[in-house]
Amino acid sequence: MVSLNIDGVECRYGSIKILENVSLSVKAGDFVGILGPNGSGKTTLLRSISRSLKPYKGTILLNDKDLYSLKNIEVAKQMAVVPQDNTISFSFTALEVVLMGRNPHLERFQMETENDMTVARRVMNLTNTWHLASRPVNELSGGERQRVIIARALAQEPKILLLDEPLTYLDIINQLEIMDLIKSLCVADGIIAMAVVHDLNLAARYCNTALLLNKGCVFAAGSLDEVMTSENIKTVFKVDAMVKRNPVTNSLYIIPLSPPKSSPPRNCAIHIVSGAGTGTVLMKVLQEEGYSLTAGVLNVLDTDFETAEFLNIPVISEAPFSPITEKTRSANFDLMAKSSMIVITSVPFGYGNLSNLESAFEAVKLGVQTYIIDEEPIDVRDFTGGKATALMQELKKHGAVFIKHASELPALVNAKHDLMELQKNAETEVPGHTKKATKEIMQPTHHKEQN
Amino acid sequence: MSDGKIEGIYANRSSRWKIILVALVLALFLTLIVSLNIGYASISFSQILAILGKQIPFLSGSINSASISPSSQAIIILIRLPRVLAAALVGAGLAAAGVIYQGIFRNPMADSYLLGASAGASVGYSIAVLYVSSALTIVGLGIAQTFAFIFALLTVFLVLFISRVGHRIPITTLLLSGVVVNIFLLAMETLMELHSGQALTGIIAWLAGGFSDIVWLQVWAVMPFVIIGIAITFFFTRDLNMLSMGDETAQHLGVNTEKVRQLLLVIASLMTAAAVAISGVIGFVGLIIPHMTRLAIGPDHRILLPASAVVGAMFLVICDAVARVATGASELPVGVITALVGTPFFIYLLRRRKTTYSL
Repeated sequence: MVSLNIDGVECRYGSIKILENVSLSVKAGDFVGILGPNGSGKTTLLRSISRSLKPYKGTILLNDKDLYSLKNIEVAKQMAVVPQDNTISFSFTALEVVLMGRNPHLERFQMETENDMTVARRVMNLTNTWHLASRPVNELSGGERQRVIIARALAQEPKILLLDEPLTYLDIINQLEIMDLIKSLCVADGIIAMAVVHDLNLAARYCNTALLLNKGCVFAAGSLDEVMTSENIKTVFKVDAMVKRNPVTNSLYIIPLSPPKSSPPRNCAIHIVSGAGTGTVLMKVLQEEGYSLTAGVLNVLDTDFETAEFLNIPVISEAPFSPITEKTRSANFDLMAKSSMIVITSVPFGYGNLSNLESAFEAVKLGVQTYIIDEEPIDVRDFTGGKATALMQELKKHGAVFIKHASELPALVNAKHDLMELQKNAETEVPGHTKKATKEIMQPTHHKEQN
Repeated sequence: MSDGKIEGIYANRSSRWKIILVALVLALFLTLIVSLNIGYASISFSQILAILGKQIPFLSGSINSASISPSSQAIIILIRLPRVLAAALVGAGLAAAGVIYQGIFRNPMADSYLLGASAGASVGYSIAVLYVSSALTIVGLGIAQTFAFIFALLTVFLVLFISRVGHRIPITTLLLSGVVVNIFLLAMETLMELHSGQALTGIIAWLAGGFSDIVWLQVWAVMPFVIIGIAITFFFTRDLNMLSMGDETAQHLGVNTEKVRQLLLVIASLMTAAAVAISGVIGFVGLIIPHMTRLAIGPDHRILLPASAVVGAMFLVICDAVARVATGASELPVGVITALVGTPFFIYLLRRRKTTYSL
């Protein structure tokens, strides 16, 4: 059984410290994803494990022996490396390149034997490159060449496989196949694989352990559940991301959200009526615009509920799959009445959530500006035998604004907000000049609303 | 192509390589014989063979000496044979060195000429001619050629040292420092020529490169460098395959990169320096021959190295023969011929590299 122990490793390029105090113990069968933003030291760590960069401090033990005291040929029998750069200047054929992987197992003057040929053929079949065997590698596509180089590494029959961004040149099917292959080698043959992977989702799907580096230090290490949390991703990658479990593959998956824009907060509350994921994007966008949001009523476990939780938006919630009770309805109405605006997404309406529409109607009658996103006609998503449709008509009559597409909403909401700000100022300040400005602003806004 | 066929081709590589090598060596032998026939005095092939046969201990008894005129024998043994052998050794040495440089630097543009070997040798030669007593000899060799050898070696090491970045030698810095050192040495050379004010016909003739004044001693001097150099390199041809994939890759595949690289660079530089010292400035052999051989038989150094050496030997023997007969009275320097062939080829490589090779 192979083992790899990294203890207190510090790496430098010249006097610049790249890695500091990295410790990690890897056991047979582990598939370790080395994660981290650009410049966090992933490749450097891999280089120090592959003996290309001797650590300034610390030790790396391969099967309890100091890695750097071993001969290249001894290490090559145990460890294979798939480098980041896969250019090859000379026109060796793919098979010749793969056979080079047999070098550690050959004597100095020995020609490759039949056994070496069998190994080469096997690994080339595994990486789907046998049909390229007699093609010169420098004429292959990047992805083909990458698979040939992975085959060369496998031809070494290594116990440890190090891969530096192995998926860079590969299309999606080849990415999955290569990761599948590596995973199966770990599980079936008990080899150790360590890969620098930029795609967090691929790492989450195939690795069983992860090492998250940040600024040359280990930020988190261990099982995927421990390492791949939205807090860790937020801190290290500076990106908001939702971490969920994929119902099909049962692996974690990560939905990165675009980096937050820093709009100044607006003193304006918007209540969102949504469900089934129809409000997710809107919540993110409006929050970035600086509005303070509320949402409801949403069932717990609803996608929009999870989004709201993630974005720290206050939600009036109901138990999973339950109709809205009177208590939550009135709490929700209170929020609506206090809001400056209400947005209703094109969520389907049934008897369970019909009261959201009724509350909105009440709020509109109180004068709360309401926007209704009408991407799908209401009769298609009305499961109340026409009650929701009728309520929509009423809402329209009382001044709710219908919008054909959600992407138009932010501009409209911003214009309305600016108008309300001006009106507020006009009430407190000297009339005249300001009022005129108000009128000018009003014109285009009206125009838009009529659209 | 069926699967069995692919495996068959690779299984038979070893015997195919042997056939290629035997054929090439035979061709070289023929070239040598034909080349011995070329010259001012006409000596028939049968005479040449008889003269050569007489030199071989076992055969000498069975050869009829009567048909051999003493003057013909003198011409063949003392003038043409050393000259032809020197051309062959220099060609083999330069080509083998080219194979090594190109493999180690992962680039088919690397060549001893670009590394400054010839320019270094010229400066060494000129210093010796102009400032050192020509009566001095070192192990029987002229002081000028000894200086040429030492300066060629020093220049190559200097260029390698300048272009070294950390543990690696990027091909771009290598070519650039080669160019810079070449220019510097050329300036030195010009300075010396101006300063001396003498008629420098000897130096100029030597600079142009050629084998017109070769004596046996020089053949014996260059032979061990080339033969032993190629023999040792042959031990490391599989390593050279992997080094041509890049240092780190070679290391990951089990090659003792530092040691092999240093050893092979020293061997290549010694071969180059020895060759340049007796032949003068003969450019592009180390560039063209390995490249053409690679195009013909593939990049595997296990066959590329010996094949390039033999082809290089043949090439220079032919160039030398052409030099002898091309212009009636005075000889054409061999360096001129190789440069005339080499420059267009180098330009072709540069153009082609844009699509095929990466630095």
